[in-house]
Amino acid sequence: MNWNFEILPDFIFNGLRDGAVYGTVALALVLIFKATTLINFATGELAMLGAFFVYVLNVEQGWWLWLSIAVAMAVSAVIGAVVERALVRPFDPDDHLPVVLITLGLFLIINAVAGDIWNYQVRRVNDPFGHFPSWVPNGSELKTSSDGTIACLKNADGDLIEVARGTADADMCEMVGRTFFEVIGARLHYRTIGTWIGLALALIALAIILGKTKAGLAFRAVSSNAESARLVGVNTGRTLGFGWALASVFGTLGAALVSPALGGVNPNMMLTILIYALAAAALGGLDSLGGAVIGGLVVGLIKSVLVSWFGVVVLGQAYFSILQLAMAFLLILIVLLFRPAGLFGTRRIERV
Amino acid sequence: MSGDDWPTPMPRPGDDDDAGAEASVFAVFAPPETEIHGAPAGAGDPGPEPEADEPAATATPRDADDPVETGARGAQPAAAGLSVRSGPPVTPTANPPVGGVVDAGGADRGVRHRRRISPLRWASAALLGVWLVAMPLTSSVTELRQNTQIIVMVLAVLGVNVATGYGGMISLGHGVFVAVGAFAAAYALDDLALPWAVSILAGAAFAGLVGALVGLPALRIKGIHLALVTLGLAIVFQPLAKRVPAFSGGVSGRAVGAELVPPSWFGTTRWAEGLYRYLICLAVVGLAMWVTYNVINSRPGRAMRAVRDNDTAAAVHGVNLVASRVNTFAVSASLAGLAGALGIILVPFTSQESFPFQESLVLYATAVLGGLGSLWGSVLGVAIREVFSRIGELLGGVSGLGPLGEFLRLLDEEQFVFGMLLVALTFVFPRGLIGLFNRRRGLPVSPSSQDRT
Repeated sequence: MNWNFEILPDFIFNGLRDGAVYGTVALALVLIFKATTLINFATGELAMLGAFFVYVLNVEQGWWLWLSIAVAMAVSAVIGAVVERALVRPFDPDDHLPVVLITLGLFLIINAVAGDIWNYQVRRVNDPFGHFPSWVPNGSELKTSSDGTIACLKNADGDLIEVARGTADADMCEMVGRTFFEVIGARLHYRTIGTWIGLALALIALAIILGKTKAGLAFRAVSSNAESARLVGVNTGRTLGFGWALASVFGTLGAALVSPALGGVNPNMMLTILIYALAAAALGGLDSLGGAVIGGLVVGLIKSVLVSWFGVVVLGQAYFSILQLAMAFLLILIVLLFRPAGLFGTRRIERV
Repeated sequence: MSGDDWPTPMPRPGDDDDAGAEASVFAVFAPPETEIHGAPAGAGDPGPEPEADEPAATATPRDADDPVETGARGAQPAAAGLSVRSGPPVTPTANPPVGGVVDAGGADRGVRHRRRISPLRWASAALLGVWLVAMPLTSSVTELRQNTQIIVMVLAVLGVNVATGYGGMISLGHGVFVAVGAFAAAYALDDLALPWAVSILAGAAFAGLVGALVGLPALRIKGIHLALVTLGLAIVFQPLAKRVPAFSGGVSGRAVGAELVPPSWFGTTRWAEGLYRYLICLAVVGLAMWVTYNVINSRPGRAMRAVRDNDTAAAVHGVNLVASRVNTFAVSASLAGLAGALGIILVPFTSQESFPFQESLVLYATAVLGGLGSLWGSVLGVAIREVFSRIGELLGGVSGLGPLGEFLRLLDEEQFVFGMLLVALTFVFPRGLIGLFNRRRGLPVSPSSQDRT
């Protein structure tokens, strides 16, 4: 047992960063589940497609990164709405089978098309939060070697603290910018803060859309009771399309936030993230938006602190890192077994 | 076919096509059966179901490599009496589920042989028969092996069908059971030095055991939630399997030392070897389908369907829900495990690499494509998937068509073709292709829609 508490904050920050991404993707799942009680298994792939749009616009076309992300989110929204209209609406919403099939088919199609267009190799993307803007004081510096790969990290005093790919010479590095703060001895990366900010902004936007707009009101009405909503004149079809569009936007945002941390985009990038997001959604309650976010953060923490820190560092068992996915699965299983509504979901009462 | 229908107490005038057609479909295949393993199969079933032999007949085409002939006449009446059918994918609503538990199957027997046979069924039965005979004769060693693998896959799809079509439990994780079956069989064969037959059974049995364990959560988790859990299982399996090298061979996989070689009189060429394995697999697949048919139509099978349609009602009528659900999962997983175990006859190597979770999704989708709640639906699903992926390959090979060529290139990818097929067919035949073969429309209700989650 090696209770290495010094590095614990690192793990907590990482866990909360990953958790924010899971929460964002879980929001996409929950938005759709709330409206239709369907789990969209293609959520991850739609999000991956969104991340590729960002890649194409920003890296290939040279657009400004934030503009690329905004456009990618808009395109994803359209795709989500079109998918709903063309592939999901024709089916009886009470019957899971066909829609499960459709989303599985979509999963396979999108994955294959993306693989065909972009191959399965990882393509590097620009990180919206790669380094702090220059006005932020006291961060540490990330250096890249002359061939452009990230090679070394220097702290603010100029000491070399991490050499990533073998190249050792600090002079070969050129300064890019500051990447993290030192907070209670741990590194709080800009990427982490940026991900949190991204999630927070998205949540605020979502709250405004659902709470203050007419479409949001309709969405809440439909997810509360589709039949009654239709009776009072809500166009349920269009509202569900709106829900899918919104869900795609969140998926794309999550994928865009996480892709730099994964080293880039590739067609299989969202597979494992989907599982964590499913665990997050199940934990929070499949029909609770707030629950999805909290669930995501909890899943991220469990994964990072319980599995990576406690398992790998404290117990010294390297195989714990493999168990991260298994942990997500167990979490899904346990939650659904003992508390099917999750922490914040609506409990359903069965009347026989 | 399969016994998916609730036995109808009275023949309804509209239905008759189904039953008759079915019976005759089998009759076509019946003769070789009687010749080859007539004894076991025919004798096989004094059991409770009158229908028992019929599936035996289904087993036959698989053994048959000789052209169908003489036996046909004799077999026909027998086959005709059986209620096997590719029947409509379950019509639970039409008949009160619980009522179905009480077997009324006998009522319409005897009328069937007079019914007309739909040409479509004739054609497909004939096609299947011809293919089973002609394929090995015209294939190279590699093709023969690949085609045998396809035939074996029917079992895995059938496993999904049992869980989802008959048991009403969506399983997106059957690839796991296929893998477990393969690993267990390889382990029994090499590490325990058991004979082939025992090893294969051990593979199926072990997968069944694992399936029963997985079935336990299904006692509480239903519908789309179960889909989620089984999908999670499928995704988690691969990394976990890497960690148990003694069983799965770890990252590099495990080669199977033992080889199944035919007796010397059978021939020693590689083609003869392939043919021998083909016949064995065909026989096992046929046998397994027959056993499944019987299970489906016996008391546990009826309990299974009753639970699917309305578990409360089933429980009220004395069905043990726990036993029935666990049972269903065990049967379905052991079918998948059997497929995995047979796989190592064909390719003496197995590895977690061969079982990515997409494989599980494809199994599930194939089962639904073909038609849930129908044994023949599973065969059809596999067949259609293969046909389309071949067509895709052909079209993908065409070049020089500009932008159209770009699209055609995509068709080379099996995953893409399958996904498109899935989406397209879900629209056209939401209840599976087997619906084509049934006159009755509109009755079936999806199993999952009845889950109250």
